[in-house]
Amino acid sequence: MSEKPHIVKSYEEQLQLLKDTIIKMGAGVEKQLEQSIQSATKKDLSLAEKTIKDDETIDRFEVNIEEQVVNLIALRQPMAIDLRETVVALKISSDLERIGDLAKNISKRLISVGVDLPTEIVKNLEIAGLKAAKQVNSVLNSYLHRDKAVAESVWNSDEEIDQITNVNMEAAVKHLEKNKSDIKKVTQLLFVLKNIERIGDHATNVAEQTYFLITGEYLEGDRPKA
Amino acid sequence: MNKITARDVNVFYGSKQALFDVSINIQEKEVTALIGPSGCGKSTFLRCMNRMNDVIDICRVEGSIKMDDLELNSNKLDVVRLRENVGMVFQKPNPFPKTIYENIAYGPTIHGLAQSKEEMDQIVETSLKKAALWNEVKDRLDEIGTGLSGGQQQRLCIARAISVSPEVILMDEPCSALDPIATAQIEELIDDLKKEHTIVIVTHSMSQAARVSQKTGFFHLGKLIEFGETEKIFKNPDNQQTQDYITGRFG
Repeated sequence: MSEKPHIVKSYEEQLQLLKDTIIKMGAGVEKQLEQSIQSATKKDLSLAEKTIKDDETIDRFEVNIEEQVVNLIALRQPMAIDLRETVVALKISSDLERIGDLAKNISKRLISVGVDLPTEIVKNLEIAGLKAAKQVNSVLNSYLHRDKAVAESVWNSDEEIDQITNVNMEAAVKHLEKNKSDIKKVTQLLFVLKNIERIGDHATNVAEQTYFLITGEYLEGDRPKA
Repeated sequence: MNKITARDVNVFYGSKQALFDVSINIQEKEVTALIGPSGCGKSTFLRCMNRMNDVIDICRVEGSIKMDDLELNSNKLDVVRLRENVGMVFQKPNPFPKTIYENIAYGPTIHGLAQSKEEMDQIVETSLKKAALWNEVKDRLDEIGTGLSGGQQQRLCIARAISVSPEVILMDEPCSALDPIATAQIEELIDDLKKEHTIVIVTHSMSQAARVSQKTGFFHLGKLIEFGETEKIFKNPDNQQTQDYITGRFG
């Protein structure tokens, strides 16, 4: 349904501000994710440090969204699409905040092992990271443009990140078998790979929420998993 | 189970048509809320269910409205018996300018429901208890009903309505003149009354409709636009007009 504006302009503006804040938070999280992966691929740990610092901004966005949602519920008593808009914003902000935390954690681990990493694992990390970043970008677009087909597509694609993660984990273990002295680095990289997989899960949660926001219905069936 | 079944109800005030082909099933022992902008026909429809439109000379009702198997829109219907079975509560509390006791005893007296003073006392007590007013007025039943507060007067009117044990209670914006506490008391009462009565309530308060009803019907320009589970109507209505109205986008 395409929506007419509310009769009460200030209510319309408050709901618009909520949507805008989610999009700004999403853009911040995308940047965090991108930087954290690039700190490994470009061997530039200043990007990892920046990612860690940027997480404070993301956390503040989450608090701000929570305040907006509580105010809307207390003062406007939203109904139907407005109620879904309000409740979904709260849940999406929570998933975005977790993605930010995971990007921060990736950065911390990369700082702890330095830039001299096994090339093959870094390559795999880049493939998985780009895929996860694409998922986050697509789901934010589906939220922005109210595109349920894109939300569904993100939901269905999570399986691919799971598969990539499984392959990458196996490759990392094989590398370790041949290069036992890399144990500290590879252990940290295994966590990094797992974090990327978790980021995909959060993007899928956002896709579920966005689909509910648009349709008022829940995506049916079990999420595809590898 | 359906308590009231309306089929293709059309209502005219002179040459002006107020309701267009309204069909609806009112479930027994549930609360059904009718919502919609002023002049949409919701009160007109409510009044069809106890033939209150009969008092308007130029009003003509077509179609079928059945309560169980009884056709309400029939010339042969005993309207007095109908109103014994279908009580009504209005927007503004309208107790009789008589004592609290007499307000309640009036209906049972004219319908011959009590054979003795003891029986009448019992009806008055039970009705006031069901209307959650007994504790507040039990020691002053001989005081004038219009001396009570607005919320108490409305509960007195509800007690008066239920004193003749109607199966259906119609409420036309029963809380619009009440403060939030008195409103909450009426809403609590509605919750309680639905165990024994079928309730149809017209309200302008979206949140009240959402709080008290199990089914909601949205009227616009004399048509029933959408009717369904209250949860569905307020979470994810099927009709764009319904959504525009309940979210304040109407007009």
